[in-house]
Amino acid sequence: MAEIRRHDPSDIRIHWFNAACWLVLLVTGLGLIKNERLNPLGAWLPDALRALFGGGTAGGAALLAVHETVGVLWLVGFLGYLAVNRAGARFFLCEIFSVRPGDLAWMVRKMGRMTLGVGGELPPQGYYNMGQKAFAQASVVGGVVIAATGLVLLASDKWLPASAVWLIGWAVSLHYLAVGLVFAGLLVHIYMAAISPEEKPGFRSMFTGTVPEDYARHHHGLWLSSREPDGEAGQ
Amino acid sequence: MNQKLVMVIDSAKCIDCKGCVAACKQANGVGRGVWRNWIKEAVPPVLADGRLGRGHFQPGACMHCDEPSCVGACPTGATYKSADGSVVIDPKLCIGCGNCIKACPYGARFRDPVKRIADKCNYCPERRAVGLPPACVDTCPTKARVFGDMNDPDSEVSKLLRANQGKVVRIVAKGHDTKPNMYYIASTAPDGWAVKPVDPLSFDALSGLIGPAVKAAVGLSGLGVLAMLGRQLLVSARGEGKDAGPGAGPDAGKEDRHG
Repeated sequence: MAEIRRHDPSDIRIHWFNAACWLVLLVTGLGLIKNERLNPLGAWLPDALRALFGGGTAGGAALLAVHETVGVLWLVGFLGYLAVNRAGARFFLCEIFSVRPGDLAWMVRKMGRMTLGVGGELPPQGYYNMGQKAFAQASVVGGVVIAATGLVLLASDKWLPASAVWLIGWAVSLHYLAVGLVFAGLLVHIYMAAISPEEKPGFRSMFTGTVPEDYARHHHGLWLSSREPDGEAGQ
Repeated sequence: MNQKLVMVIDSAKCIDCKGCVAACKQANGVGRGVWRNWIKEAVPPVLADGRLGRGHFQPGACMHCDEPSCVGACPTGATYKSADGSVVIDPKLCIGCGNCIKACPYGARFRDPVKRIADKCNYCPERRAVGLPPACVDTCPTKARVFGDMNDPDSEVSKLLRANQGKVVRIVAKGHDTKPNMYYIASTAPDGWAVKPVDPLSFDALSGLIGPAVKAAVGLSGLGVLAMLGRQLLVSARGEGKDAGPGAGPDAGKEDRHG
């Protein structure tokens, strides 16, 4: 069966780089929240992680150092991606923020079909379906908020004066909010991509870069038809 | 038994020499414009015959509370109640957010202008490690400040507390007793200066609104995933008995005929 190019190698690299950074940053970040009014999973997680990272207050400091270092690397990785594939980034942003008529109906029907098994025919979708677009929008907006507030927190005990503590306080709150909301979407993203049988070719394409033509026709019909006249349009 | 380090102060003995304030700054390298301890002054009243009555000086610092409101306001656990009873700041974990400064009803905390993190009295751990009392206690010429382990019945603080049983007062914040461990013998003045501990709006929003909202969003999303997974397993279990192959998705036969 014909395979169609869907992802540039730089797309695949940034995706898995982002996933690895998220894993480390999520775990170390949760380990940093040691406050009984905040910690979403209780004190055992920060206690266990601090023990893992050297124990006691030294463990906490190591956890913070890892979180800050990986956080900066994450940001540098995205800047690197922008440097090598600016066109890809522009295409991605244009696609995910262009919501077409029928996308809302797709979203509602798809959710009904996936959970309860009810819902009508699905309107055709473009390069990304509405579910992918919604999660990508959340990831981009959330990622910008996470990076900006993270930089404030990184700067707080290095450059920011006492008059900026209000900014630091809100950076903590917004950092947590953005991570929490993207994480909620991430659960669905991981299920749809890696566990649901329907998207297996999409999952495989995040390693190989290509999808079967048949899959593209059924899942991303508008994308396929948009690239057919001149062959290599789309990506 | 764990230690419980406390300070017992006979403020009637204080002569406002500020020796404790200077010694603390010198011992701990506390920078310009900030102080880890203080002497407050009760202004003497004007008597009926026009003469001044008796004033009162009151030494103080972080009271190393048993229910410290600063600890509850710290997002990272950088400030915590340690096993010896003291409230500690871990400088490597403090990000300088300033929450604890407003949360302390005694104004005992400040943001160090050079280190840019929270700072306050720590009972001079370096001095204690070599068997010396905290600098403020050591230097006090009238011995108004006494420091020691309340759990050790033979310590000077225990003896003082025993000898003055029922006559010891604490300075308690308005509407919120944080159980301070600074004990004033007999009486002290001024009183009523401790403020109500407050959290910054951003922290109240985080603990009261954003935290629960994130939990709800993640919970809802998790439920959705479980529903999809349940349906996937159900359909594939049913499908195995019929014509669809194993692993066929919920939409098998509709739009999902890929290989």
